[in-house]
Amino acid sequence: MTIVLEVKGLTKQFADKVVVHPLEFTLKSNTSTALIGPNGAGKTTTLSMLTGLLKPTAGAIQIAKGDIGFLPQYPQFYPWLSALEFTEMAAKLSGLPTKTAKLEAQKTLEFVGLGDVLHKKIATFSGGMKQRLGISQAIVHKPKLLLLDEPVSALDPIGRREVMNVLKDLQQETTILYSTHILNDAEEMTDQLLFLRDGQLVEQGTLSEVRQRFDEPNYIVEFYSAKEAQLFASHFIGEVRGCSVYITIQDERPNMNELFECLNNNSFQVRKVERQTASLEEIFMKVVDRA
Amino acid sequence: MRGLPILLQKEFREAWRSWKFLWIPLVFAILGMSDPLTNYYMMDILHAVGNLPEGFDIQLPEFVPADLLQASIGQFQMIGLLVLLASFIGSISKERANGTATLLYVRSISFSAYFISKFLVISAIGFVSAVAGFAASVYYTTVLYGNFEIGTLLACFVTYFIWLLLVIAVILMMSATFNTMIAATGAFIVIFIGQFLTILWDFLPWSLPSNGVLLIRDMMYMQDYWWSMFMTVMFTIISIAIGIVMMKKNTSMVKI
Repeated sequence: MTIVLEVKGLTKQFADKVVVHPLEFTLKSNTSTALIGPNGAGKTTTLSMLTGLLKPTAGAIQIAKGDIGFLPQYPQFYPWLSALEFTEMAAKLSGLPTKTAKLEAQKTLEFVGLGDVLHKKIATFSGGMKQRLGISQAIVHKPKLLLLDEPVSALDPIGRREVMNVLKDLQQETTILYSTHILNDAEEMTDQLLFLRDGQLVEQGTLSEVRQRFDEPNYIVEFYSAKEAQLFASHFIGEVRGCSVYITIQDERPNMNELFECLNNNSFQVRKVERQTASLEEIFMKVVDRA
Repeated sequence: MRGLPILLQKEFREAWRSWKFLWIPLVFAILGMSDPLTNYYMMDILHAVGNLPEGFDIQLPEFVPADLLQASIGQFQMIGLLVLLASFIGSISKERANGTATLLYVRSISFSAYFISKFLVISAIGFVSAVAGFAASVYYTTVLYGNFEIGTLLACFVTYFIWLLLVIAVILMMSATFNTMIAATGAFIVIFIGQFLTILWDFLPWSLPSNGVLLIRDMMYMQDYWWSMFMTVMFTIISIAIGIVMMKKNTSMVKI
């Protein structure tokens, strides 16, 4: 895998406020990376610098050959153009030859699901349609690197699903970096996570790596009666909630068997034993809270 | 200058679809016809609207065609230029402020091509407007007062259009440099307040419109005329150059 984007010591300072502290990360080809962080963490500023629209105060950005595609959080269009006219113009301005531009624009619009409104004026478009048009202008020239700022945050659940499906299809052929604070989306479509907080990269890695780091091995042992649960709690330290006992096992590998031995030896009737995986949201809260 | 034809097409579509090619020339046409008509029918208008005392009589001055064209140009200089200013002062700054420019600026477009495309399309509107304004004024003046000599009339028109090019270049330069509010103020000062400088000197760009009329009157001192023409062209080129540089420099003013 080749490296598509390499960021070294990227910094942005507005007046005396440092918005982005030196950032370092790399993106490999055909991976998708989620830039996660609360509002004001510097996600948009970082993406703006990667697009070249904002000049970094310091640091270097290296992008492999090939154009970039960018979708701002609230893409604005010329309302007096049609979807096809706009996408075709975007394609031509990105260097596609006139002959292929129209064809590519048409194909891309069909791909994002705007095939039947090619000639409608953008002024008549709904929010979801504009977002899809925004994606089409970002991908029409087949960029090596796709930067998306909150691609689905402004959409309703249906629009969000549609856009996510489009992005998943794109994952195979391009490198995607997108910011989001909707963690379900990140969980669904990501190879790498970058956590930003107050302009600093506080956590990064693949979803499973990050999960491992923040995972507290919580187990739920569920019984058929509350009485049995309380009885079990007297053998094994845990918190009783109804018919279930919540326990934390540190150092799982050697200590796991103790749980089962305890269950076996006392012949408890167990309905289920479940290991809880920390959701990205819980991890997010932990990362954000960790001062 | 990569992408000039594409950007020209975009600017033209915008101007065409927002009816700018129709209503701005229409304003100029109305301005152009108003002076010959109101002056010719002044007595009738006064009789119709005023409770003039019995035996009231005033002597209206005798106008020659050049006087009426000069009056029309005076209208273009006030209301016409204000209309141009209001219509186009946001050409660059508004696109930045509302975010429509973002999707263009992320592509490696040529800022000179983008600026020139705007300049050319607005100049085309300016040309149609000047033609409409002159045609209306000249038509009614010819019908009501007398003929123009075609050669000097054309020279006067070309002179005025070249002045308009400077006005458009200044408007765009201001729009590229500042946000819309400051740009409007800046352009207003340069275009309108600058006209007071003509009291002192005859060879500055602001003298050009009246110099055009002096050509018709055959009262122009040609050395001053060519100086004012030269200065106007120079100022236009400088404005365009500054505009392109500032447009590029202000890339980060786009709303993202």
